[in-house]
Amino acid sequence: MVEVGKPRFLGRSIWVFHLNTGSCNGCDIEVLDVLTPYHDAERFGVKLVVSPRHADAALLTGPITLESLPKVIRAIEAMPRPRIIVALGSCACGGNIWYKSYSVVGGVPELLKILEERGVVVDGVYYVPGCPVRPESIIYAIALIKGLASKKVRAKVKRVGG
Amino acid sequence: MGLRDIRGSRLGFLRALVIAGRRGRVTRRYPYEEPLLTSDFRGRIDIDETKCIGCGACVNACPPNALELLRSRDGYVSLRYFVGRCIFCWRCVDVCPTGAIRGTREFELATDDLSDLYDVLIHEPMKCRECGSLFSTKRMGEYVVSKSPVVENYVDLDPGCRRERLLKAIEGRFGGRSG
Repeated sequence: MVEVGKPRFLGRSIWVFHLNTGSCNGCDIEVLDVLTPYHDAERFGVKLVVSPRHADAALLTGPITLESLPKVIRAIEAMPRPRIIVALGSCACGGNIWYKSYSVVGGVPELLKILEERGVVVDGVYYVPGCPVRPESIIYAIALIKGLASKKVRAKVKRVGG
Repeated sequence: MGLRDIRGSRLGFLRALVIAGRRGRVTRRYPYEEPLLTSDFRGRIDIDETKCIGCGACVNACPPNALELLRSRDGYVSLRYFVGRCIFCWRCVDVCPTGAIRGTREFELATDDLSDLYDVLIHEPMKCRECGSLFSTKRMGEYVVSKSPVVENYVDLDPGCRRERLLKAIEGRFGGRSG
């Protein structure tokens, strides 16, 4: 298990700007689930805000369609530094079944390359796989960002003997 | 006593408190307690390196190509599993001929580094006994021999050499190549 230090720039409550970038709405429904009293993300100070100018984190769901790409870039540019991106769901993490489609960028890893070309700095990226993500998976991601939980997933390279 | 009565009276919030008190706490304490996982929840998969033969059945079945079979320049075949693209359908678990893929209930997969989400299984290739080229995987050869021992005569020949051997055998039977 790897301890993850809490990013120093995220002082207290994380305010989140949720942006659907061509998602099927599965992950968006789960975001809604997390905000109900049952899972209650607000006990960690997480709150959805309506303007990217108020936000610490951009919550991206979906494989980032070409139609939504300019809007995503504008929203991320509008966020004050330091800013983080949270890629929610398999689509945002790796493009899911659309990862080589003609009309999508193919997830946040590809988006980061485009942002780098344009000179937009992002201070941290968090990936939350799941199709759709479990509400508890999102809660775990929040705990990870706030330094309350430790990272459990590690890359594994295994060699097959003979 | 409905919701309207509570709203109507000035001390209505006290009644609301009573109702809330009777209902108790509903919020889950999740990161500090066990998650609500049912027995049929599907999480990430785990590939057993002692059983995998590198046949690629799971690669064909995988809808988002989260499982990929890669061949490096030195002939090594590796099975790469990218959790970030996985849709947790477990079709690979169903199609695996040796039962090497096991579904787990792991869902706590959030990370700040994309390389954490890769699982790689490196297979050793077979070497052709005639031309020395690398092909398939050693495990695959062992598996095929265990299923039908007849192939033991030509399992360590690569497809090209095997074709040549077949042609030579036909030649011998029909009296040499004509023309």
